[in-house]
Amino acid sequence: MREIVSMIVVLSAICAASGFSLAYLKQTTQPTIEAQVLTYVQGPAIERVYPAASNKPVEERKAFELEGRKVMVFPYKDGDKLLGVALENKAGGFGGDIGVMVGFNLSNDTLLGIGVTTMSETPGLGTKVAEPKFSKQFVGSGLSVDLKSKGGNIDAVSGATVSSTGAVAAVQAAARDYQALKAEIQKTWQ
Amino acid sequence: MASMWKEFSKGLWAEIPPFRLVLGLCPTLAVTKSAENGFGMGMAVIFVLVLSNVLISAVRKIIPKKVRIVCFIAMAATMVVAVELLMQAFTYPLYQQLGIFVPLIVVNCIILGRAEAFAAKNPIHLAAADGLGIGIGYTLALTFLGGLRELFGAGSLFGHYVMPEGFVPFALMVEAPGAFICLGGLLALMNCLTIVMSRRGGRELPVNAPCGADCCDANK
Repeated sequence: MREIVSMIVVLSAICAASGFSLAYLKQTTQPTIEAQVLTYVQGPAIERVYPAASNKPVEERKAFELEGRKVMVFPYKDGDKLLGVALENKAGGFGGDIGVMVGFNLSNDTLLGIGVTTMSETPGLGTKVAEPKFSKQFVGSGLSVDLKSKGGNIDAVSGATVSSTGAVAAVQAAARDYQALKAEIQKTWQ
Repeated sequence: MASMWKEFSKGLWAEIPPFRLVLGLCPTLAVTKSAENGFGMGMAVIFVLVLSNVLISAVRKIIPKKVRIVCFIAMAATMVVAVELLMQAFTYPLYQQLGIFVPLIVVNCIILGRAEAFAAKNPIHLAAADGLGIGIGYTLALTFLGGLRELFGAGSLFGHYVMPEGFVPFALMVEAPGAFICLGGLLALMNCLTIVMSRRGGRELPVNAPCGADCCDANK
């Protein structure tokens, strides 16, 4: 009996101590990690979306409230004129969520391009959704994109239907966010 | 002091993992695509190993025998998550490279092996010296292995191109088979060296050369 009690007490104490210390560490590192992700994950994705930007989209980003979520919007400017914005959304893929950064042209509501930020798809198959062959199909397309199998004009990656569907769903979700936020975005940067 | 040095230095040659203490092979094979990756993985292992050794040694008297493995793993896991968070916060590109292998340090046999064989039976200062020695040995080994593979597979070292012009990279070396070939070759070399050295010294040939003589016998 004594032994069982001591086992329970010691193990609980160890687990509690590690739980508390990790929660504390997680909280203290959170802002730094977010900044790192912006630099190393979202930054390069934005560069793929609009390489010609003359401003610094990551530094000039602004957060918008939408249906209780925080949506980060990255402006794309030429000089002082706001040409477009990029925002990220995600949807379920084959191995987890696929995050896609989507650039929108403000003047005619078309897509400037997409860049995959995070994914855990099968290497060599699902990861092809991040390659130009797939992603460049989105450039210039309207806001209602869809796969060819569903009446749209995007060719899915063969052998990676789920990943392709996920990527397209993420783009659609971003497009919905964009439509909902467009008025607010134009007010903010004009 | 002398005993601390003895525990520290054994990790650098006599029981250097993974060449003598053949443990922790999964990350060894997977992350040593470049010298930098090997070095980064080694640093993470040093951090986890020293802290987990010290912690386990500090609480070794209150841990009930029957649940000791669970306790060791819980403490090692805490250290690993801490490393993961710190890596994400300060060395994000390295974290992207090492990816899944950082959380997998939890089940790295070296951590549990040192906890069970050494830290659970020795005072804190010896456990720290042991962890540091084994960790540094592991880092040296991984950096060397990574450097070797990077040199032949990509023609560079720590990201700088060093091979003469016209060198055709031997791409197999940075793929998975290259890891096995390199590690196997190095293990064979180490064994060969051990045999030659014991012949020269007139000592008896070790029966099980790769494990050193008493790597897991903490009572000695």
